[in-house]
Amino acid sequence: MRSNNVLGVIFSNSCSSTLTELTAHRTTASVPIGGKYRMIDFVLSNMANSNINNVGIIAKSGFMSLMDHIGSGSAWDLSKKRSGVTILPPYAGINFANKVETLYQLRGYFEDAKEEYVLLSESNVIFNIDYTELFYLHDVNNADITLVYKKMTAPNKLSPILTVEHNDIGKVNKILLQQEIQGECNMLLGSLLVKKDLFLNLIARALSENELDFYRLIQKWAENYNVFAYECPGSCAVISCMEEYFRFNMKLMDGGLRKELFQTDRPIYTKVRDDAPCKYGLTSSVKNSLVSQGCFIEGDVENCVISKGVHIKKGARVSNCIIMQDTVIGENCNLNHLIIDKDVQINNDKSLMGTDSFPIYIAKKSLIN
Amino acid sequence: MIPKQKVVAMVLAGGQGSRLGVLTKKLAKPAVPFGGKYRIIDFPLSNCVNSGIEAVGILTQYQPLVLNEYIGNGQPWDLDGMHSGVNCLSPYEAVSGADWYSGTANAIYQNINYIDRYNPDYVLVLSGDHIYKMDYNEMLEFHKENEAACTIAAIDVPKEEASRFGILNTNPDGSIYEFDEKPKKPKSTNASMGIYIFSWKKLKKYLIDDAKDPNSSNDFGKNVLPAMLNAGERMFAYPFEGYWKDVGTIDSLWEANMDLLDPNVGLDLNDVYSRNPMMPPHYIADGVKIQNSLIADGCNVQGDLEFSILFSGVNVGKGAVINSSIIMPGAVIEEGARVEYAIVAENTVIGKNSVVGADPENVKDRDEWGITVIGDNLRIGDNIVVLPKAMIDKDLEVSE
Repeated sequence: MRSNNVLGVIFSNSCSSTLTELTAHRTTASVPIGGKYRMIDFVLSNMANSNINNVGIIAKSGFMSLMDHIGSGSAWDLSKKRSGVTILPPYAGINFANKVETLYQLRGYFEDAKEEYVLLSESNVIFNIDYTELFYLHDVNNADITLVYKKMTAPNKLSPILTVEHNDIGKVNKILLQQEIQGECNMLLGSLLVKKDLFLNLIARALSENELDFYRLIQKWAENYNVFAYECPGSCAVISCMEEYFRFNMKLMDGGLRKELFQTDRPIYTKVRDDAPCKYGLTSSVKNSLVSQGCFIEGDVENCVISKGVHIKKGARVSNCIIMQDTVIGENCNLNHLIIDKDVQINNDKSLMGTDSFPIYIAKKSLIN
Repeated sequence: MIPKQKVVAMVLAGGQGSRLGVLTKKLAKPAVPFGGKYRIIDFPLSNCVNSGIEAVGILTQYQPLVLNEYIGNGQPWDLDGMHSGVNCLSPYEAVSGADWYSGTANAIYQNINYIDRYNPDYVLVLSGDHIYKMDYNEMLEFHKENEAACTIAAIDVPKEEASRFGILNTNPDGSIYEFDEKPKKPKSTNASMGIYIFSWKKLKKYLIDDAKDPNSSNDFGKNVLPAMLNAGERMFAYPFEGYWKDVGTIDSLWEANMDLLDPNVGLDLNDVYSRNPMMPPHYIADGVKIQNSLIADGCNVQGDLEFSILFSGVNVGKGAVINSSIIMPGAVIEEGARVEYAIVAENTVIGKNSVVGADPENVKDRDEWGITVIGDNLRIGDNIVVLPKAMIDKDLEVSE
């Protein structure tokens, strides 16, 4: 199948209930990550780099920041005359109560698209993947549905995950909804490739049978259809809670992981602001940190991920923190294990400490006086 | 029909900039990287946009590929309007024949049609190789108030440097009575910044007259401006205060970059627009010392930096030291290398433990000292010494 015969569809509110404060006023898709990105940049860039030209982003609630971020889609080269990116919010009094209903309500959008296949994707998966191999294998296997998974250590968390068991050619035997799991598992990443007509039929039938649980639906499909599993090559992280969010940002100090995620021939695109290069003052000291453009660093920084336009003033000591854009850290502050949202101002001489397993979150536009 | 524009800006970007040596071997001077993420042309273009000028012609001639590609559709500067925007204007063939741009005035003359399409009242002529921020509207107001035919922006320069510039000698009301090109004994310190506002009708007449004169070298400074003055046109010097630098030489290019690191220099980079590379934030390793430097996205810094500028995607190996240097996009400074008072152009690799340039403090003969320049896409091998003031345009495997 040709890539431009695939319609990309992204759920922007993935896991928003367990990402708690970060998604209080925004979609999961638009949560800042890795210093200058938003979560959706990864999955959206993957689609753009795999020549998917038409992408719909399903937005349930709190999608102001998402709309601002996506704009015309030109940052991903998805602002084309004949296709591009579309944000799909609830309309005409219909609310997107659950996935099955949402997909059913959007059937008009699916039908209108000229593409014959649909690639569904969650927005909280951080990876750099070329989907063309997936498309190729879907054809070769003559699959009805292909699911993307990654063999990884089971995340230690409250919400259940889907794992997959398959034979040696990738045919799925069983999909399990795991409540508590330890050790390695084949975790499904929420990416699903299917022929559009079949998909619309499946969704319509599910609704008529009052089968509204999407996880249960996938399990049922695996029993009745030709479903294959495809393992995501390369590193992959699923961000579904605050602790995972914090850990993943810290992991980016690893040069090997950065090399895998930010490949020069498959760049991760994002909306870019015209920030000047980062300026380091005479009194700065920086260790093991990621720093974005537009920052002015005069204090001590260690193990931090710092977003654009942040000012860290003289004498401040900032360790193990994630700092989002345009935040100002006052002189002689002492900060450790914090997730500091956008536009926060921390005045001089303040001390704030979280712990490794419980980073403290400071909300957008807070003034700490 | 194209709506009228009050002002059309024309940026002179065709010169070779031969004094920049290897840096302009493959690209025009306005396309030379500057300030960690910009190219020189970003400054006049951003000034235009920030002054509300929506029609900009860029006159290109020498090695225009990089510049054309960089300007593209003008979107990074918001110059991609439906009826206006930025256009790169190269010499072309017409019914009357084909000519290269023979001088600055001729470049505008050959594009009279381009300007006339917008039916402007004023034309702003700019150089593509100056670093400054300026609101051209204020200059335009000054031009209108004086009912001038031509207004030239002027900056006060130190007396000892005045003989390097074109000096404008003025009456107390600001009107110009004499041009003095690089005078040995300057009468004033009012230097022309190469920024002109003309009332378009007047300029058009003088350009047409100038084109008819076979003895003219078709240059603004040498021909058109003196002709206007001799004819008694109202010409004024607009006094500009603020940062301005002509970056036509290696020394001035290096100095202008270093000025960005000087807190006493009032050039802030807000509102300067550019194309932005798609790279992750830069990484600073453990045990590294960074002082007073600018670093762009995508860099990986494992060595020490002092008073230096790293463009996007630069790699600095462990134990490497960079001092008072400018490292352009994609360059690699390998482990243990030492780069001092140097400009390293795009994608060049400096091998392990090599030494490029020197601190003037450590040089015995100051006359032998200068900024070292390494051209683009080169490889300087391991353990090589490149002397101060050297300009390298080929791979080096043994020291010169």
